[in-house]
Amino acid sequence: MTAARALPAALRLLIAAALALAGAPAGAQPSEAAVKAAFIPKFARYVEWPAGAAPGPRQPFQLCMIGHDPFGAVIDQAAANEVVEGRGVVVRRLAGAEGAAGCHLAFVRGATAAGTARLLLALRGQPILTITDSRAGPQRGIIHFTVAAGRVRFFIDQAAAAERGLSISSRLLALALGVRQRRT
Amino acid sequence: MRLPMRLPERWSNAPTAIVAIVGLLLLAGIGIIAQNEAAYRDLQAQETRVQADILAASVTAALDFGDAQAAQEAVDAIRVNRQVRTVGVYDGAGNLIAGYGRDGDNPPPRSNRPQAFGSNAVSSIVPVLSAGDRIGAVLLAVDPEPLSRRLTRYLVIGLLVVMAALVILVLGLAQNALRRFNRELEARAAALVQANAELKVQIGERTKAEDQLRQAHKLQALGQLTGGIAHDFNNLLTVIQGSADMLRRPGLADAKRVRFAEAIVQASARAAALTGQLLAFARRQPLQPEVIDVNHLIEGMTDLLDRTLGERIVVRTRLANSVCAVEADRAQLESALLNIAVNARDAMPEGGDLGIETAPHRDPRAGAMIAIAVTDSGVGMDEETLSRAIEPFFTTKTTGKGTGLGLSQVYGFATQSGGDVRIASEPGGGTTVTLLLPCSGAAMQKGEAEEAPPFAGVRTGNILLVEDNEEVGEFAETLLTELGHRVTWAHSGKQALELARRDSFDAVFTDVVMPGMSGLELADELARLRPGLPVILTTGYSDEIAAAGAGGRPVILKPYGLDTLAAALDQALGEKA
Repeated sequence: MTAARALPAALRLLIAAALALAGAPAGAQPSEAAVKAAFIPKFARYVEWPAGAAPGPRQPFQLCMIGHDPFGAVIDQAAANEVVEGRGVVVRRLAGAEGAAGCHLAFVRGATAAGTARLLLALRGQPILTITDSRAGPQRGIIHFTVAAGRVRFFIDQAAAAERGLSISSRLLALALGVRQRRT
Repeated sequence: MRLPMRLPERWSNAPTAIVAIVGLLLLAGIGIIAQNEAAYRDLQAQETRVQADILAASVTAALDFGDAQAAQEAVDAIRVNRQVRTVGVYDGAGNLIAGYGRDGDNPPPRSNRPQAFGSNAVSSIVPVLSAGDRIGAVLLAVDPEPLSRRLTRYLVIGLLVVMAALVILVLGLAQNALRRFNRELEARAAALVQANAELKVQIGERTKAEDQLRQAHKLQALGQLTGGIAHDFNNLLTVIQGSADMLRRPGLADAKRVRFAEAIVQASARAAALTGQLLAFARRQPLQPEVIDVNHLIEGMTDLLDRTLGERIVVRTRLANSVCAVEADRAQLESALLNIAVNARDAMPEGGDLGIETAPHRDPRAGAMIAIAVTDSGVGMDEETLSRAIEPFFTTKTTGKGTGLGLSQVYGFATQSGGDVRIASEPGGGTTVTLLLPCSGAAMQKGEAEEAPPFAGVRTGNILLVEDNEEVGEFAETLLTELGHRVTWAHSGKQALELARRDSFDAVFTDVVMPGMSGLELADELARLRPGLPVILTTGYSDEIAAAGAGGRPVILKPYGLDTLAAALDQALGEKA
């Protein structure tokens, strides 16, 4: 019996190992959410905040998850790995737009599309790089995720960024699926 | 001589130097090209690196966000440059994300696997940094500029070098040629110097030979002269000796005695003429120049010429009125004309015309002259005869008929008088001898007629005779005594001075050429001691008188006769009185 019990255990181990081995290639093609979560902290590298809004020296960037957070621990991990010119990125989770002051980046997702629109409206005028996802609705922040040809892509609203005193690197603009030019 | 020897040595290395310079130049050119090439490679490496950096910067975001397509777009953008051979973009794990390879030179799948691209491609791998993190790498391999284009660039340098080398080569060759030319020139100059030296030696030898020839000619002439004179003198001496022997015979009829004496006088006169000609030839005859109207003289000579030349010769004269007077020795001039006339006669054995012309002549050097041209219609002379006509002792006549001194006398007289003789002749065409004499500015003397006043011999006096020769002195003493003078004979000038100091004389008759004090010196001394004492000079010939003149004193030429001596003394005593 023990041997019989032991065999399934060994088999389980084997399967686990095989699963683990198979998991590596699966990691090479991460899920859509993981890709988005990896992207979000990196945007900090390509954006310049106005002098007053930028974090002080040795101060981390504040990434605020406003409203609904679809990433959970994945975003915490991505933020923890990110170092932008010696600054780290910390994640704050906010239910509403109140207390968003101090945020540098904000992933905005209301419970509904209308909720998202309200949140965005509330954040308007503040030097915050707002990020939205097309899966949550058509309302767009400055960066708006979408999926094209199976790849995670994004639109950039340069006009909105300019309104908030943010300047977005051309390198990032080059990667965008579309750019809403600022009015000059 | 040392410098030209050293120069070629110093320059003998020139071809080597030229080759060396050209070689250096070519080396320098190659060096420049090599350095240029190296610099170009450096530059290309730098450019490749910069390009890779730019690419790295432009793919930063793509790598950050794992956007292989965007990375490929950036890579494709760089493909426009045809020199880009291989491009690879790797992510942080070293995996190829985007790439491009020309001609199969694809980027390696992993960035840590180095690879050579093409033959000469310059490759560069630069990290892709994002916010200080190495998030990947970019590999870029660039082909160098095509060889043809590089060659074109180096062709300019090469051309310059080749041209410089050519210039130096040409210059060197020119220098070489110049050097060779110089050497040849030197050799030629040396040859010329040698030739010149040889020529000088030859000239010297020739001059020596000519001198010897001239000496031989002189000796020959001397022989002829001696022979001719001996011949003529012997003839005359035969007459004189024979006549003297006859005179010594007792009981000789008076008529015969006179004839023999006449013969002696004539023979002596001819002998005197002969010595006169000799002296004229030697140009040592003491000239007694006086101002002569040549036309008058010629007119006076026509009778004599007619008689001398014979009946078959017709003498015609054509005398120009405008001719000037000349200052010359009358006897010599007459003698010269006679000599020319005699030659003309001998040239016309069958008879003919003898023309005598006078005409004014202008010589660029001597000024106004008179030309006396004597033309015959005789046989003429060929060129050789003509060239020797004036030569002393040259004669075409048979021995005994001529002395060869005729034209020589003419020439001697003419040159001594400051004139010249021109002879023009052609075989069969007659001969013209032209005597040129300078015009005289002096006034004509009381006509030319001073035809030796007939011997008077009325005045006598106390005469001091100075003569070193015993025989001549004895003869002169006899003559003077015969003329009725009282004679004191001094044998030297010194003795004569002593005598003159002591005693008083009416006149002095002195020889010129004497040992010790000459007659002229004596005359000068006497002029101080006894002014107004007349001095008569006598000489056969005298260098001194020929050169300095007699100082206005009368000169009696030896040999002299009784009449001449008497007339001279009579005049001197008359002047003193």
